[in-house]
Amino acid sequence: MDRDRRGIDQHLPLRGVEFHILLSLAAGERHGYGIIQDIGARGETTVPDVGTMYRALARMVENGLIQAVVRRAAVDAGDERRNYYRITDKGLRTARAEVRRLETLMRAARLGGLLAKETK
Amino acid sequence: MIRDPFIARSERWFRLLLRLYPVDFRDEMGDAVVETYLDRARHALNRGGIALLAFAWLRALTDSLWNGLGERLRPAVSWRRTGRWGRDVEFAWRRLARAPAFSLAVVGTLTVGLGMFTVVYTVVHKILIEPLPYADPDDLYFVWRDYGPILDLKRGFLAGTDVVELQKAGGMVESAVGLQRQLRTLAVRDDTDPTEIALAVTSPNVFDTLGVQPALGRGFTRGEVGPGGPSVIVLTHNLWNRLGADPSIVGRDLRLNGERHTVIGVMPPSFTFALHVRLGPPQPVEAFITFRDDLAATNPVSGSYAAVIRARKGTPPETVTASVNAVGRIVDARDFRSRGLKLYPVGLQSDLVSHVRPALLVLLFAGAILVLALTVNLASALLARTAQREHEFAVSRALGANSLAIVRATLFEGGLLGGVGGVAGTLVAIWATRTLVLLAPLDLPLRDSIAVDWRIASMVVGLGVMLGIVAAIGAAAWISRMPLSTLLASSAVRGGGGHGRMRRGLVVAQVALSLVLLASGGLVVRSFDQLLRADPGFRTDGVLTMRVPAPAQFFPQAPDATRFYERVERAIAAIPGVTNVGVTNALPLTAAGIQMTIQFPGAPGNSGNPERDMPLVDAISTGPGYLEAMGIRRVEGRTFDPSLVGKVREAVIDTTLARQFFPGRSPVGATFQFVAGNQPPFVVIGVVKQARLYDVHQDGRPQVFIGSEGARFLSLAIRTDKDPRVLIPEVRSAIRRIDSRVSLSNIRTMDEIMRDALRQQRISAVLIVAFASGALLLVAIGLFGVVSGSVTRRRREMAVRLVLGSDHWHLVRLVLREGALLVAIGMLIGVPGIYIAGGLLRGMLVGVSPSDPFTLVVVALGLALVTMAACYIPARRALRIEPAQLLREG
Repeated sequence: MDRDRRGIDQHLPLRGVEFHILLSLAAGERHGYGIIQDIGARGETTVPDVGTMYRALARMVENGLIQAVVRRAAVDAGDERRNYYRITDKGLRTARAEVRRLETLMRAARLGGLLAKETK
Repeated sequence: MIRDPFIARSERWFRLLLRLYPVDFRDEMGDAVVETYLDRARHALNRGGIALLAFAWLRALTDSLWNGLGERLRPAVSWRRTGRWGRDVEFAWRRLARAPAFSLAVVGTLTVGLGMFTVVYTVVHKILIEPLPYADPDDLYFVWRDYGPILDLKRGFLAGTDVVELQKAGGMVESAVGLQRQLRTLAVRDDTDPTEIALAVTSPNVFDTLGVQPALGRGFTRGEVGPGGPSVIVLTHNLWNRLGADPSIVGRDLRLNGERHTVIGVMPPSFTFALHVRLGPPQPVEAFITFRDDLAATNPVSGSYAAVIRARKGTPPETVTASVNAVGRIVDARDFRSRGLKLYPVGLQSDLVSHVRPALLVLLFAGAILVLALTVNLASALLARTAQREHEFAVSRALGANSLAIVRATLFEGGLLGGVGGVAGTLVAIWATRTLVLLAPLDLPLRDSIAVDWRIASMVVGLGVMLGIVAAIGAAAWISRMPLSTLLASSAVRGGGGHGRMRRGLVVAQVALSLVLLASGGLVVRSFDQLLRADPGFRTDGVLTMRVPAPAQFFPQAPDATRFYERVERAIAAIPGVTNVGVTNALPLTAAGIQMTIQFPGAPGNSGNPERDMPLVDAISTGPGYLEAMGIRRVEGRTFDPSLVGKVREAVIDTTLARQFFPGRSPVGATFQFVAGNQPPFVVIGVVKQARLYDVHQDGRPQVFIGSEGARFLSLAIRTDKDPRVLIPEVRSAIRRIDSRVSLSNIRTMDEIMRDALRQQRISAVLIVAFASGALLLVAIGLFGVVSGSVTRRRREMAVRLVLGSDHWHLVRLVLREGALLVAIGMLIGVPGIYIAGGLLRGMLVGVSPSDPFTLVVVALGLALVTMAACYIPARRALRIEPAQLLREG
């Protein structure tokens, strides 16, 4: 258990793009462009570019946070070369740990008066 | 769809941009990245037409530039960052473990080969490369005198006054010390067994000049020298260990030749020092004392001092030479009436190793060739293995493994094999080096420090890895260049790949390399054989020898010493089994003796040319009975008569002098005298064959044997009809009974002396033959593999030939011809190598020319025989081809 914890902690804090990817995949399998569109939909001002995202995907596959999905039967012709990704258990726990970390930060920020105005 | 052309053009653009990413990333993510760009491009085209599409293109460009560079600098995936060594090692390990025979054969070959190379490299590194254990050793020089104008002596010792001149020279010469190597009888106390040790008698600044200070106690002070100075001694670590390694030894007294000397210091363990004996190679010293004489007051024309100078840091050798030459001119003018006797410096290290350098370079050369042969052999083995696995490669390529990954895996496998071989070779070498040092010549410089250290070990492991990688390049290049279609097609037919030409090329290289090694080995063995057959001028069997010094401290008057030796001779002659006994100051093959110029007044052979008529000879003092004990061959006249000792001045000369001065006549009854010192002449009573003092295989200086009356540092030669070593206890107790203060040292039989004299040649011959046999084995294995592969590949063709009427033996000849062609080409390529090797060998060959036709022809025939045998065994498989069955199967 302890080792597992450390395995997760070493990925924290997550980069913005990584957190977004986990967030998208938590809702279900996605391909690259799907994730980009999700991020855009979240109203993030700087949507990561394609290269940045695929590098992040490669890194996260390697770290075991997500995994590539065996291609689904083609829904449409353009789909056959797309890579689909799915969040792993570890990815899910990592995302949650990141959320907890952010929460803690938020709480600290509130107590420090940094966020006082906005929360009111 | 009307927009298709734009999308198609976009795809081409995005694929082009993909090139900005490293290949690994491209392989894994490329399609998805392009697809995503296309999604976005379609989106843009739908929303805003061409303008937005152009923007998407531009955005993709900046994105790819940025992230492509980023990915190259910091690959996202960790195994590309670290090379994922763990997994590569695991894979390669598993692959090799699945082929244990192959792996063991390769590692075994590498272990033996690299082990042998390591041994040789260790010796070369320690002796020729590693700096001497002194401060700035490159600034240290020996100084010699070239006596050319008056004597046949190019490398002579200096006079004490020359050392003083060098000390006064200043300028580039920072300091100078004089040195003499002397043997003295050491007794720790009066009641302990005396031993004889070699010590350097030297100037007090010796340790400052060498730049090494004692580890225990102190060095000499400026005043501790000269007549009336204190008797102090500094021990080497070695001697200190032998005396019991007692740290409180400093301040205690030792006895040298019975004289009290106070130990003031012990040198550190790393410190060793060797000094040339008269005309032989350098020998180690075990302790240091200072001069009792005032060097400035010594005879300026009699040379007996070695000199070491330290030049100012970083002075170029030419400048040092000029400074020493200048001093030489001053003393030449003062002491030799400007007859042109020169002083010259030689770098300390190169001077100490000059007698072994040629042999070491040859061995290193042979070792390097062996490593090359190993590389070629491994390359051939890896190529064969790759060819066997071409099906596997074809499948993995077809499944999408990129060729880079396969190349990397192949190179990695080679490196891993080489590395394991290097580690195993180093382990073998650690043990083998110890053995070698035991067998090495006793006067091998730095003999004690020769061992594999971590630097040599890491170098050898690195060499192994490099060798493995280089060897794998052939296989890797072949597999990566092969188009997938060919690979798939040829893997269906086993052994049908295009690696054959490469393997044949490697065999040619192996043949060339082994020809060079075999030729060198053959020449060295022939030369060693000549040495073994050489007649040194005496009978080596059944002779026991030992040094028995009689120093003045024990026998104050010369006649006392002479009487002592006479008593010893009588006592030993009484031992049962002893047939002859005699004393001498110069046992054969020990490079001892005293050099004198002599003249034969009125002899018919005198030419009028003073240089020719006054030759430098080795004057050997002997007692009666010595010539008989040593088995030196008498040609005419008689030998010394015991009853006349001390009453007449008689001498025996060697055949060289007899031929020169008395051509066609007997010299018996003639007289000669030493040119120096006004001594009465000697009467020649006999002529003997030279008993060689220096080399086993060739005569040295002419020799005269004179009486030993008054000589103090003599050796005994005892001839017996028993095993000489059996006599040792009796001889020892006989001498003890006569005088217990006297030490016995260098107890050796003449057979041992002879063996010791040939140690270097023996070891060189053994090593080089081992190298050559190794190379021969490697080439045989290589040819075997190629021919057997060729038979397998050409089975079908042969079956067709058989059907068309050719017989089985014709097929065998066909295969043999293929092998013979490779051998012939290899030999032709090897010929220039023989000439290069011959040039290197010249310095160490005795009685054999480097291009000795007999040896070279025998070697070439032998190589041809072995290689053809290696071809014939697999070629016989052609006999078993059953055409009907084979063709039906196909």
